[in-house]
Amino acid sequence: MNIQMPVTLKMGDLMSEEEFFQFCQMNDTLEFERDSHGNIILMSPTGSFTGGFNSKVLTELGIWNKENQLGEVFDSSTGFTLPNGAIRSPDVSWIKSDNWNALSQEEKEQFAPICPDFVIEIRSKSDELQYLQDKMLEYLANGSELGWLIDRFEGKVGVYRSGQAVTVHDTLDIDLSGESVLPGFLLNPGALIK
Amino acid sequence: MLLGSALFIALFCIFDKSRNKNEVMNIQMPVTLKMGDLMSEEEFFQFCQMNDTLEFERDSHGNIILMSPTGSFTGNFNLRVSGHLFLWNEGSGLGEVFDSSTGFTLPNGAIRSPDVSWIKSDNWNALSQEEKEQFAPICPDFVIEIRSKSDELQYLQDKMLEYLANGSELGWLIDRFEGKVGVYRSGRAVTVHDTLDIDLSGESVLPGFLLNPGALIK
Repeated sequence: MNIQMPVTLKMGDLMSEEEFFQFCQMNDTLEFERDSHGNIILMSPTGSFTGGFNSKVLTELGIWNKENQLGEVFDSSTGFTLPNGAIRSPDVSWIKSDNWNALSQEEKEQFAPICPDFVIEIRSKSDELQYLQDKMLEYLANGSELGWLIDRFEGKVGVYRSGQAVTVHDTLDIDLSGESVLPGFLLNPGALIK
Repeated sequence: MLLGSALFIALFCIFDKSRNKNEVMNIQMPVTLKMGDLMSEEEFFQFCQMNDTLEFERDSHGNIILMSPTGSFTGNFNLRVSGHLFLWNEGSGLGEVFDSSTGFTLPNGAIRSPDVSWIKSDNWNALSQEEKEQFAPICPDFVIEIRSKSDELQYLQDKMLEYLANGSELGWLIDRFEGKVGVYRSGRAVTVHDTLDIDLSGESVLPGFLLNPGALIK
């Protein structure tokens, strides 16, 4: 019998932020997040198809970023410490150059204390939709300007904008715009799946 | 030795069709969380109390092992076995019986939770009340491990040898999936019976105790 993911391990005050970082390094074949109460969340590994899709999305953003030189792109193994204390690991994320450069080298080597300006969460088979929706709202509340939640199982895309209601598109075949955050960036999730 | 083995970290993804298209991927249990020096014994005890809907063990290196919950059929079988031991113990008055939620701190530092265990009165009474309220620093004199669907056989076999190495005198590993019973005796080679329909004897450890696992399943 197996346990349904994600599993939340309540931690109380048992583990400091630095200890959590060490814990993640020691267990680098497993995926963890940490919520704003300090509880550890054991994530399931991503299926191979979703992993491939993630990397296509990441590549598109990487190409745009290379041409525009406006910031830094991060993959799904990257942890960030949000202002509310949670440590999250978006599937794809992007930080404006100025914000990234304001961090010290030491901060960059740990789970950097910053909320990405732009995040993408890609639902994998194991992901509870509600869990991802909550994370998107948490990103916005902690400073993200724009976020996309791509759900290829339901064929939907949620667009999360700072200070605005969520827009949900009932198709993956849509040109998502980077708007003012990533000027000129366009992504059609449906086209990447084929 | 034992569970340093990263073998169990091997994560197999199982697709379990549930309602609609909401398919769920799970992680194969048990999962070993390497802990280094991050958690003291007392902190581990607190951790277990906070997460009492989950089952944990701790190996002799201090790593936390996240166990899977037991299926209902196995849970019922566990209770039948411990019920028989309890009845024998009530009659003989020789010791104390413990259920599968009980943790013990073995001499090698591991914290284990056998499915059924029994400690001689003298050994149990030698513990302080405070020790009894925590994961008591003692290795049960007699242990039974009952394989559930999720259990890796090798993991259980390693645990049985660990019990013996830490002071258990007798142990039974009941595997109803393979239809086998392993009898582990201190200082001796393991005896494996290829059937569940056998009268297992408590020998000199639990004099007069007999259990036929096959009869309990029917």
